[in-house]
Amino acid sequence: MTAAPGPPRPDRLLRTIARAAAGAAVVAARGGVRLPRPVDRDLKVVVAELTAEAPDAVGLRLARPDGAPLPPWRPGAHLDVLLPSGRLRQYSLCGDPADRTAYRVAVRRIDAGQGGSLEVHGLLPGTRLVVRGPRNAFPFVVAPAYLFLAGGIGITPIAPMVRAAAARGADWRLVHTGRDLASLPLSERLAGLDPARVIRRADDVHGGVPTAAELLADLPAGAAVYCCGPPAMIDAVRRAVPDGHGFHAERFSPPPVRGGRPFTVRLGHGGPVVEVPADRSALAAVRDVVPDLAYSCQQGFCGTCHVPLLAGATEQDTSAPGRMALCVARARDATPLVVDLGRHVEPCGGSTSPPSSHKVP
Amino acid sequence: MMHVPDDSDRVALNARDVRFDWSQLPVHWIPGEPFATHLLDVLHLLLPEGERWFVRLFSDVLPLVTDPRIAEDVRGFIGQEAMHASSHQSVLDHMAAKGVDTTPYVEQVEWVFRDALGDRDLTGDAARAWSIERAAVVAAVEHITAFLGQWILDARALDTAGTHPEMLDLLRWHGAEEVEHRAVAHDLYMHLDGRYLHRVRSLVLIAPILIRLWARGTAFLLSRDPQPSRPRWRDLRRAQRRGLAPGTFATVRALLAYLRPGYHPSQYGSTDAAVTYLASSPAARAAAARETG
Repeated sequence: MTAAPGPPRPDRLLRTIARAAAGAAVVAARGGVRLPRPVDRDLKVVVAELTAEAPDAVGLRLARPDGAPLPPWRPGAHLDVLLPSGRLRQYSLCGDPADRTAYRVAVRRIDAGQGGSLEVHGLLPGTRLVVRGPRNAFPFVVAPAYLFLAGGIGITPIAPMVRAAAARGADWRLVHTGRDLASLPLSERLAGLDPARVIRRADDVHGGVPTAAELLADLPAGAAVYCCGPPAMIDAVRRAVPDGHGFHAERFSPPPVRGGRPFTVRLGHGGPVVEVPADRSALAAVRDVVPDLAYSCQQGFCGTCHVPLLAGATEQDTSAPGRMALCVARARDATPLVVDLGRHVEPCGGSTSPPSSHKVP
Repeated sequence: MMHVPDDSDRVALNARDVRFDWSQLPVHWIPGEPFATHLLDVLHLLLPEGERWFVRLFSDVLPLVTDPRIAEDVRGFIGQEAMHASSHQSVLDHMAAKGVDTTPYVEQVEWVFRDALGDRDLTGDAARAWSIERAAVVAAVEHITAFLGQWILDARALDTAGTHPEMLDLLRWHGAEEVEHRAVAHDLYMHLDGRYLHRVRSLVLIAPILIRLWARGTAFLLSRDPQPSRPRWRDLRRAQRRGLAPGTFATVRALLAYLRPGYHPSQYGSTDAAVTYLASSPAARAAAARETG
């Protein structure tokens, strides 16, 4: 608790502000407190149809069991999909926003992944799922011209944008890249809009992956660049986009923890002990016990979850000395960490939180 | 609730890991415009403390939120506000390094947000009511900052006046995020309480405080200028005429709009304009490159 310094120069303005604030607090107390009712944002859907979009990509049509309209969305939006196993995955909506009866997603099979895509590929028609959203971390804005760059399954958020740009009569180009023509879902149909505007570029024909300069070769004047694909592609294009062109890429959730070691965090001297597994952050583990703990960027820079560190030593820590960035820092050695959350935590906890999610482009 | 807007244009909110370099910043970063420079410089003195207050308050009310979507928006909002605070603070630190001692004014601002608008040692329902009342105050402030954010995105006069590009990027990145998240505080307040009278009386409380603090800050900085001067109405009118300050009429109209019973922040400002700026902002682009890798 910081000691209030008191008015440095208690002049008329500050005294007036103090009186007004004191009055407002009294009036607020007289008005009483209303508490909000819980809001359920889960959408219950059923897998209405499965389609093969490519040899290794499956398309899902998700609809409400009673066929009622789904919440509206705009190009670039994605959905949180809670799979039957409890895995939470995010998939871009690739259908038509005007079709309110169903959401469409397309998922590429990743054999060496964490199993989410394999589970999706094993779903049967009629399976019930819970989805949340849609949410848009890739907003599609009005621009005089567009260059759309998609890598493989990265075409999914781009496809509705292409159709919207075409419908709007904008000047647009689409370059869709991938290992071979068979690995380029959705874009064959998009080429039907205007074949001259679509390039489907297969690495096996062109002798390797394209450079950013090649991808940006046909950039219309003043065009906004929309890019979705492997991180290396997004990064290379971002660096190469010339001034005067907006660059748009999706904001992804923080990546899962890799190569971490398990450690323990105690919430205050004498408080509950939280075990942090190798593949989770301290923030995620602490939130199992303190679900309403404030946090934001989950990448260490915004400072919202930086808390006083009372004992122990941390590494990968982006916070100031004497503090710990719960979202990224880990214990340096086997000594348990002790942090101060600024509130009393009952030494029980034990509630479970949803598994960490990570969007696979 | 009478009005359920089509909220499909909502954008997922994420803080951006921006950095700024002030080593080349001239004192009058709008060349030849000391008044307009100091009028906007007040933001660096006023905002860090105010935004840290938002962050503390919203972190405290987060446990009251029962709508997961609002909780998610509030978390994005908190991170963005924290980055605004630290970015403006970096200008303040630069001023201090250049020998401009802003502490007499900044201490007053600190006192307003930590003491007068702080927790006031309340407990129980009185504390909760005061927290929700202050959430309504934040909603009112956010209406003003969204108006200012849209103004700075549109203020072409700042480009033609040769405004220092790093500072213009800070102000426009900040303005764009204010426009991007302009509905969060309002939606939070409507979720927690939503009473019309409480909503509008918060603007009546906070708007005069902000205007008086802003005027005082401008006068303070003019007095600390290498060529000290006093604020004059005609300097303000001149800056407004040249498009270097928001117009009086537009400001009053924006404040009055908040009193409309059917008010929703989505009816004012352009998310498209904000997203378009953030796609070309040097600071936001560098931040995105940093985050991926």
